[in-house]
Amino acid sequence: MNSANVIEIEEPETTETAACCEVRMPAGLLGFEHIKNFLLIAKPAEAPFRWLQVKNNPSLAFIVIEPLYFAPDYRPDIPQADVDFLGLTSPDDAVVYNIVTLRGPRNATVNLKGPIVINRNTGVAKQVVIANAVEYSVQHPLPVNGAA
Amino acid sequence: MLILSRKSGESIVIDGRIHVKIVRVEGDVVKIGIEAPAEVPVHRREVYEEIQCSNEQALTRQNVALPKLPQSTPAKPGITISKGL
Repeated sequence: MNSANVIEIEEPETTETAACCEVRMPAGLLGFEHIKNFLLIAKPAEAPFRWLQVKNNPSLAFIVIEPLYFAPDYRPDIPQADVDFLGLTSPDDAVVYNIVTLRGPRNATVNLKGPIVINRNTGVAKQVVIANAVEYSVQHPLPVNGAA
Repeated sequence: MLILSRKSGESIVIDGRIHVKIVRVEGDVVKIGIEAPAEVPVHRREVYEEIQCSNEQALTRQNVALPKLPQSTPAKPGITISKGL
């Protein structure tokens, strides 16, 4: 992302560099409409997962993942009103993330009905209720090998 | 709850900026047209509540251990842009 900057996160044993960029969600997340500003944090050891963390509150975060890592056939249909809201001029402007729910050490699900769509050029994002939501689950099983 | 009677083609206005129009009534299906500013999200309630519930369950703390995914090659992303709901 254009607005990306790099911060150092100190670890007791290893030094890990995390990439971090700001994401603005003017409409918030469903149920969390009052929270507008987030950080998208990528720690190399945790790839392909990323953190969508509430800005100024590191204890509140969502785990997100790009669908290309687990659902190659996923085709979210973004309503025109959301395309306009996000200022997308082509599908290439958009980065799509899905929110992960950890349900146990070997059990995780992903919300495919309401992906987070980010305009990679502006950092503006929205949780979009996709037009083809009936085709997908909010609890799509994520194939995991167990906790790290 | 405020309850109003409206005929097909009639509207109500909320807060001077949200217009809700009864477009058509067919049996037990009512088609509703909504004009609202872009910053006012409008959702079907059942889908909204499903995603809201999922978000609440997904909220977590930064220090949890993340699972490992099986090694796989990322696919090419693909989204489509809807031409209308």
